[in-house]
Amino acid sequence: MQKFVIYIVLFIFGISYGQNYSTSSFTNPFAQNQFVPNISLIGDFSYVNRNIKDSTYKSLGISGFVHEIFHSHSGHEHAPINAERGFNFNYGELAITSTVDPYFDLVGIFHLTEHDFAIEELYFTTRSLPYNLQLKGGKFLSSIGRINQQHQHYWDFVDIPLVYKVLFGDEGLNEKGVQLTWIAPTSFYLLLGIEVLQGENELSFGYEVVEENGNTIFDKASKPNLYTAIVKSSYDIGNLTLLGGLSYLTGKARFNHLDDEEEPHAFGGDSNIYGIDLTVKYFLDAYRYISVQGEYFYRDLDGKVYKNSNFSNLNKKQGGFYIQTVYRFSQRWRTGFRYDLLNKNEINGQNKPDDLDRYSFMIEFTPSEFSRIRFQYNYDRSKFLEDERKKINEFIVEFNLVIGAHGAHAF
Amino acid sequence: MRVLSILFLILGIILTAKAKINVVTTYPYIKSIVKEIAKDKVNISSLSDGKWDPHFVPERPSLAVKLRNADLLIINGAQLEIGWLPPLLKRANNRKILPGKAGFLDLSTLFELIQKPTTVSRAFGDVHPQGNPHFCLDPVKIPKMAEAIKEKLCILNPKNCSFYQENLKNFEKSWNKHLAKWNEKMKKLQGSSAFEYHRMFDYFFLRYKINVAGILEPFPGIPPTTSHLLELLKLAKSHKISFIAYAVYNPKDPVEFLSKKTGIKAFLLPHDVNSLPQVKDIYSLFDEIVRRLTE
Repeated sequence: MQKFVIYIVLFIFGISYGQNYSTSSFTNPFAQNQFVPNISLIGDFSYVNRNIKDSTYKSLGISGFVHEIFHSHSGHEHAPINAERGFNFNYGELAITSTVDPYFDLVGIFHLTEHDFAIEELYFTTRSLPYNLQLKGGKFLSSIGRINQQHQHYWDFVDIPLVYKVLFGDEGLNEKGVQLTWIAPTSFYLLLGIEVLQGENELSFGYEVVEENGNTIFDKASKPNLYTAIVKSSYDIGNLTLLGGLSYLTGKARFNHLDDEEEPHAFGGDSNIYGIDLTVKYFLDAYRYISVQGEYFYRDLDGKVYKNSNFSNLNKKQGGFYIQTVYRFSQRWRTGFRYDLLNKNEINGQNKPDDLDRYSFMIEFTPSEFSRIRFQYNYDRSKFLEDERKKINEFIVEFNLVIGAHGAHAF
Repeated sequence: MRVLSILFLILGIILTAKAKINVVTTYPYIKSIVKEIAKDKVNISSLSDGKWDPHFVPERPSLAVKLRNADLLIINGAQLEIGWLPPLLKRANNRKILPGKAGFLDLSTLFELIQKPTTVSRAFGDVHPQGNPHFCLDPVKIPKMAEAIKEKLCILNPKNCSFYQENLKNFEKSWNKHLAKWNEKMKKLQGSSAFEYHRMFDYFFLRYKINVAGILEPFPGIPPTTSHLLELLKLAKSHKISFIAYAVYNPKDPVEFLSKKTGIKAFLLPHDVNSLPQVKDIYSLFDEIVRRLTE
């Protein structure tokens, strides 16, 4: 009996072995592994030291701009990066890109946080439009300004400039829509672009109807809601490169804070934003450079605010800028300084604090192109608890690493 | 009406008369070869200017202007341009010169590359999965590139094809004359050993049977570390190393350190046209390399 079992086992093994053997010599005529797109994964981790307790930090606001820096209007709390003292897992970024066919490229950027998977960008660009035209469509970071379309890991500092944070939020202007760009036939670089976007930014644009107890307070704005125009130009003088840009954004704004516990209110009106940016980069040799980069944005928000069943006019004229300089002093080291200031903060003709500033210093080491360790110090005077200004000292160590096939970055 | 048609005719003549094709090359050495074949029948410009690290040419937006107007883009290939060309191509919005189109030529497809890794891992630094891309420093490979360029130009600009053909013939003749000269001079270095900063001159050394005994970079793209230099020092004691080769964009300090400690001469070798003021074309590129090594 035992012998019989052994024979059976051997027999089955023989069959399965034989089958294994034959499949391993069999080539798969339908294999598509040559078509695997470029896949890369970025990990961003940090250690944070801050002189403000986390609980206090979370309820800070920027006077006249944002009630609470962690506040979100679409319901879910979306913490900014480096939110907690101690260790932070900021994000993972999964990028999958490839050429679709002779006519399109597709780019997918997926933002992974500890408990969330978000599609940060998923868009196509055309490859074969005539007359140096390119169409982009899907969900993407708008090309306004200088750093809006750059991902966090490509920024020169850990955090987003204040003016971006207060006008567009921690992720910048990220919208669904289409973009058409044209490279003009000039002897210097000149790009003209227009975008038609859904307009769902929680700080500057919105279209949703605002209702209270079934009564319409602000009616729905038409969709798409946001239109932008972009001009970018670049010019070289020897080893010096100049890159400048102008941006204009116009759309409707609808903010619904009626569910807030403190001072429930809502806003409906128009939002116009004007931006100007300039980057100057001087190449000392193949690796070393000095760059100076600045951006200024100005917003005119005009409409009505609804509070305690009353309507009143609200007009906000606000603006700010950052200017930064970065020195790459060897192949693996860079250092930089940034100054942030919100210098215009006028609400209904009255001045709110207009000296909201922040000073940042960073030094970073890049062991290879694929890894970076950055030390950053911030002295931040832009945040308030109620009406009391909190001066924040912040020290951040950031690790940023990338594996896989990650495409080269634009200038 | 008649005036209008005459105007259009004149405009048409002006436009076609001006219609020289625009050739853009990624590196100056390619531009120099194109110049030998096409002379003044095409407009040529190069994106890199020879003094940059060829792996990391600054992606200046103005370079997109050259690409926007290009009818033909000729690249070195083998991923040498992967760190800077793709975003420029994206920026230029020019459909004529994308990979796979008639206006695109990748020179690396002409050759079997050396040092093709069997397994690819970034544990070994910034490796090129397709092999060593610096094949342009093998003088024997230049005529083959010239021929491929001629063929491409004939496709895009057939009316000048016989002119290109003629120039190619002359170039090959003249090149072979120079090559014989270089071969003669390089004979005395046959069998010697050298250090180099990056695997930049391997094709040249392979051609002239010079053994590469060590690389200053511990891994491709990673600058020399002290511990690695000390290893090379040890190696230099047990082996006879004739010289250290480095390129104009490589940091000098580690090269000088090693040279001083060992007494081995360090040679700054041009890696591309325009990398040194006296290297003005593809001929003087090799003239200068040979001169610096043999004088």
